[in-house]
Amino acid sequence: MTLLAHGIGGVRDLPVPDWLFFWGGAVVLVLSFLALGVLWKRPQLERRAAGRPLPPRLEGFLRSRALHGLLGLVSAGLLTLVFLTALIGEPSSAQNLAPTFVYVIFWLGLVPVQLLLGNVWPALNPWLAIANGFAWVWARLGRKWTPPLVYPERLGVWPAAFSLFCFATLELCYAEPASPRALALAIALYSYATWFGMAAYGRRTWAEHGEAFTVYFGLLARIAPFGERDGRLVARTPFSGLAGRETTPGVLAFVAVMLGSVGFDGLSRSPFWQNLRADLEGPYVLDSPGTAELISTGLALVGLVACVLVVALAYLGAIRIARRLVGEARPLVPEFLLSLVPIALVYAVAHYFTLLVIQGQYALSLASDPFGYGWDLLGTVDYAPSIAPFSPSTVWYIQVGALVGGHVAGLAVAHDRAVTLLGERDALRSQYAMLALMVAYTVGGLWLLSRG
Amino acid sequence: MNSDFRKVALVAAALGLLLSLFLALRPGDDENAAPTTAAATTTAPATTEAEPPTTTTEPPATTTPKPPDAVTIRIAVPSDTALTIRRYSVKKGRQVAIIVRTELTDHVHLHGYDLTADVGPGKPATIRFTATAPGRFELELEDRGLAIAELDVRP
Repeated sequence: MTLLAHGIGGVRDLPVPDWLFFWGGAVVLVLSFLALGVLWKRPQLERRAAGRPLPPRLEGFLRSRALHGLLGLVSAGLLTLVFLTALIGEPSSAQNLAPTFVYVIFWLGLVPVQLLLGNVWPALNPWLAIANGFAWVWARLGRKWTPPLVYPERLGVWPAAFSLFCFATLELCYAEPASPRALALAIALYSYATWFGMAAYGRRTWAEHGEAFTVYFGLLARIAPFGERDGRLVARTPFSGLAGRETTPGVLAFVAVMLGSVGFDGLSRSPFWQNLRADLEGPYVLDSPGTAELISTGLALVGLVACVLVVALAYLGAIRIARRLVGEARPLVPEFLLSLVPIALVYAVAHYFTLLVIQGQYALSLASDPFGYGWDLLGTVDYAPSIAPFSPSTVWYIQVGALVGGHVAGLAVAHDRAVTLLGERDALRSQYAMLALMVAYTVGGLWLLSRG
Repeated sequence: MNSDFRKVALVAAALGLLLSLFLALRPGDDENAAPTTAAATTTAPATTEAEPPTTTTEPPATTTPKPPDAVTIRIAVPSDTALTIRRYSVKKGRQVAIIVRTELTDHVHLHGYDLTADVGPGKPATIRFTATAPGRFELELEDRGLAIAELDVRP
C-alpha cells in the first residue's frame, strides 16, 4: 500500500491556496468572454500550418540514415538496459533506475522535447528501432516479410487508446506502480504486443495506430513549431498543427484517457477520495491485505474509468449543444477534437512539472548505479538533488498559469476551426458550448489542484 | 478602426479587472503568516504494550504548547489494526522531531528529506531535522512499503 498517487516520487506540491483558485477561475471566465468579443473572424491557423521548409542540408542531416541508426541504437540500448534493471536490479524504486526512467525521464521528460522539436519520437522509438533492425537483418538474409493482415481502418487509434489506458492503470491504480519487477513484466508484455502488432500489420501502421506512445507524443508534437508537411520538414507557427479536423476513429477516446488520467491522479489525492478508499479497504487491511489491495485497485480503476468517461461525455455533450445552436447537419465531433490537446498538455504540465524537475535529478545518481549494486559508473552516485527547487508560490503560479494558458489555446484552436467551418455568425454561436466545456475543464483542473 | 479601438478598450478593461482582483484576493504577508503559526504537537494513542481496542478511530489531535520553533510529532503505528494516515503540517524553518512507536520491526523513512531511522518493539524511531524545504512529504515504514503519515511543510 502506498500513498503515492502517481508512479513515483516522495515530494509533492502543496495544494493551490483557495484565493488563487478563485482568482484563476475568474481569469478563465473573463478571458473567455473577452475571447468572444475579440477573437479573429477569419481562419488563422490553417493557412499557417504549411510553414516554411527547413534548409535542405539540415533536412538531409535530420533524415540521414546515420543519425537515425545512431538514435535507434541508443534507444534500443536504453530499452534493454531499463528492462534488465527492472528485471534483475535491486527491487526498490529508490535504488533501481527503471521506475524513475520510465515514469519521469521517458514519460514526462519527452513532453518538452516533443513540444520544442516536433515529433522526434518515431526516431527514438526503441520498439520501432528494434523492429527496423530486425527487418534489415531479415532483408540481408535475402528473405521477405509481408504483413499478413491489413489494418482495419475503422479501428483507428483505439488500440493505442487501450494501451494508454493500461499504462494509466499501471501508474495510477496498481498498488505498487514503482516496483521494478512489475515494470519488467509491463515492459515485456508491451514489447511483445507491439512487435506482434508490427509483424501482423506492418511496422509503421501498427506504431501509428496501436503504439500508445507514438500516438501520445505525436498529438503533443502537433503544437510544436516544427513539423512535417507533404514529405518536407517545416518550421511553422506553434499550434498551427492543430488546425483541421481529426477523423481518425478513437482519437476522442485517446484524448479522454490523456485528460481523464491526469484528472484522476489529482482526484485520488483529495481527502474525499483517500477517505473513501480508507473506508472501503479499512476492514480488510490487516486480516487480508490481499483483499484490501484488490479493493483499492478496483476502486481506483472505477475512478479512472469514471474520469475518462466524464471527459469524453462532456465533450460529446458540448458538441451536441453546439450542433443544436447552429442547426448543423454534419457531425461536429471530429472538428473540434484537437482543441482538447492543449488542455490535456497543460493538465500534465500543472500536475507533473515539479515531479519532472525533482525526481529527474535522481536519475543522475541512478544512472551511475542503474541496478542498485553499489556501482559508480559516472561518478555521480552521490549527487544530492534539491528537493524544493521552486518556492511553493512559484509552483502555484506556474500551475495556474499553465491551465489558463491551455484554456486560451484550446479556445483559440476551437474558434479557428469554427470560423473555417461555419462562417462568422454561426461560429460565435457554436462557440458558446465549446466555451462552457473549456471553462469546465479548466476550472475542474484548478479545483483538483486546490484540493489535497 | 472603431472596432479595433473597442477591442483594445475591452482587453484593457479585462486586464484591469483581473489585476485588481488579484491584488484584492492575494493575502498580504502578514495575513498569510497568521493562520499558520500554530505548530501542532499531535499525539496519537500509544500502543506500546496494551493492544488498543478494536476501534480504529483515534482521538482528535491535541495541541500542546512547546518551545516556539520546535515541533514534535508523535505517531503510533498499531500492529493489529488499520492505521489512519494523518497529515501533519509545520511551518518552514522549524525544528521537527518525528517520533514513531510501533511493535513492528522496520525502518521509518521520510521521503524527500530522505531521512531514515530504525524502529522496533520498545525502540521508537526519532527523526530530527529542520524543515527547510517546503512541500508535501511522505513518511513510511520502508520495508513494508506502508505509508504512515504525510508531512506538509508550509511556506
